[in-house]
Amino acid sequence: MHKIYEYPKSREYFARAAAVIPSGIYGHQGPAEGCYIPVEAFPLFSERAEGTYFWDVDGNRFIDYMCAYGPNVLGYNDPDVDAAAAAQRKKGDCVTAPSTKMIEFAELLVDTVASADWAFFAKNGNDVTTLSIMAARAYTRRKKIVFFKGYYHGVSPWTQKIDYPGIIEEDVANNIYIPWNDVSAFEQAIAENPGQIAAVISQPYMHGNFKDNELPAEGFWKKIRKLCTDNGIVLVIDDVRAGFRLDLAGSDHYYGFEADLICFCKAIANGYNVSALCGKDFLKSTVSGMTYTGSYWLSAVPFAAGIACITKMRELDLPRLLLEKGLKLKEGLIAAGKKHGFDLHVSGEPALFYLRIADDDTLMLHQEWIAECVKRGVFFTNHHNHFLNYALSDGDIAETVSIADEAFAVVANRRG
Amino acid sequence: MIDNRAKAFINMFAVLGTVTRLCELDKEAQALIADSNISIGFAVKNGPSGTLRFNNGKASIERGASDCTIRLPFGSCERFNGMVDGTVTPFPSKGFTKIGFLMKRFTKLTDILTKYLRPEPEALDDEDFFRISTTLMFHVIIEAIAQIGNEDAVGRQSASYIDDGIAKLSIGSDVSAGLKAENHRLTAIHEEPDSFTSYMTFADMKLARQLFDGKVNAVACVGTGLLRIGGLVPQVDNISRILDRVALYLA
Repeated sequence: MHKIYEYPKSREYFARAAAVIPSGIYGHQGPAEGCYIPVEAFPLFSERAEGTYFWDVDGNRFIDYMCAYGPNVLGYNDPDVDAAAAAQRKKGDCVTAPSTKMIEFAELLVDTVASADWAFFAKNGNDVTTLSIMAARAYTRRKKIVFFKGYYHGVSPWTQKIDYPGIIEEDVANNIYIPWNDVSAFEQAIAENPGQIAAVISQPYMHGNFKDNELPAEGFWKKIRKLCTDNGIVLVIDDVRAGFRLDLAGSDHYYGFEADLICFCKAIANGYNVSALCGKDFLKSTVSGMTYTGSYWLSAVPFAAGIACITKMRELDLPRLLLEKGLKLKEGLIAAGKKHGFDLHVSGEPALFYLRIADDDTLMLHQEWIAECVKRGVFFTNHHNHFLNYALSDGDIAETVSIADEAFAVVANRRG
Repeated sequence: MIDNRAKAFINMFAVLGTVTRLCELDKEAQALIADSNISIGFAVKNGPSGTLRFNNGKASIERGASDCTIRLPFGSCERFNGMVDGTVTPFPSKGFTKIGFLMKRFTKLTDILTKYLRPEPEALDDEDFFRISTTLMFHVIIEAIAQIGNEDAVGRQSASYIDDGIAKLSIGSDVSAGLKAENHRLTAIHEEPDSFTSYMTFADMKLARQLFDGKVNAVACVGTGLLRIGGLVPQVDNISRILDRVALYLA
């Protein structure tokens, strides 16, 4: 039997937070958007992190399958990345004239990412998805953008839906929404909006929430690529979530096509805050002429960290290792579910697996099981894809499967 | 932006529709209809039609205005909304002999309803009044969500993301209702649903009141555990987005 965690200090801190911070913890790392069901099963604040673990403020240790929602790709506090960052910090970080680390980092990305002829740096994924859309509009002098339903491309008004607080009709007036994997819907959108579509933006596969993640259908990307080329539409791949976990050359490369623009963040620097838009040469001049910058975008420490991170991922051939770990974990979790009569679906790519117990369409059974896992030290989340990191060991995977097994048993007994 | 047609549906089924629950909860309202056997049909051109029926101490509302003792026609949604706001006086096209009920008892009923739905702050200090007022407001909101999800352009966008099923909404163990989604059309269920695919539970009447009055936010309350959600979360998430628009129409 595994110890059942309790979170009195997390609750105390949350009460303090709620007094001075809107909703206590906002966004995807908060209990509402994070779907902490019930909230009492989840830790709310961390004390420290190392490798594949984090410890909460109550001293509970978790095997972390969210990896800070992606950035932790080598393990928290990776010594090589941290050493590179520390060395650069001694020299300078946020300085009037940028460090040449910026050039080294751009050169490394151009050398690593198949479709990249250049790199532009910012801080968050949203910064570069927004730049990609502005660049596509500037280059094509068109307004409309095609999205695949279930998308997530950040939080700027153009990415949100008309019923979200603070969004007005004009923010989304040029958005066209079509179903994932539906080439004919894209053809129809082109036919109905001749010469008006600036870009199609998409994640490399559908890792939307609340349903099984869906890989691209055979030939899907090649057809979309051709339609974009034939119709002067910029093809943007939002690789913020999946980037570097499937293929260091980019997820477009992994699926056998080339994007015109590709957005990276999360795994690019193992938690140091930098994002990048990479693109084809024909868009470089357009981006050169854009007014787009930020106070910390040219800080040198994250560039040094990014260089160390990508270099290490290349040396390790990390995507292959994450695939192996993901397949091992997937096999163990499915078997644990089956032992107790549950049909656990593990969808998406193994390095970013998505979980759903398919025996109950309401997802309440799934939510019960996730809560029991978390209370025993495996940090899964209910309805978001998970992330693997290099520091996750075979022992961690075995412990995870053991806890998942116990959680399945608890839920099975409860439901009789 | 307010759509007058959507507002007319809300006024018909959420506001006037709540007269039925008022007659269950308030003794004065019960007494007013105790011996009444009468029905009022509201027929709105290019808008909703509904009939409030009072029969042997019970009130009910149904769609359509053909079978009624008093019929009130309105040339537009704006005219009907004006009647509910008190700026337009309706003239019956049928049931002149029953006009006394309309002018006296029905007017009194709507005055009582207004007292509960737009209460004086000090009135809420009375425990019974607070309970009835919050319960009525809860039912108004549930019905308004359904009407906005079906009739308001932005509301329909939210409803388009709601999969089939029933969301259960409740205030502690005091009051429960449901919103049924079928092909992205919403129907309010003004009693505890037998089964449900998602839930949103307010801890108690006080919290529900604060949420309805816009004094606290639902997202913040999830973190404190005062508001619990679960099941098919996109159902309750999109219902919350429609709920945001309820205040726009009922302000």
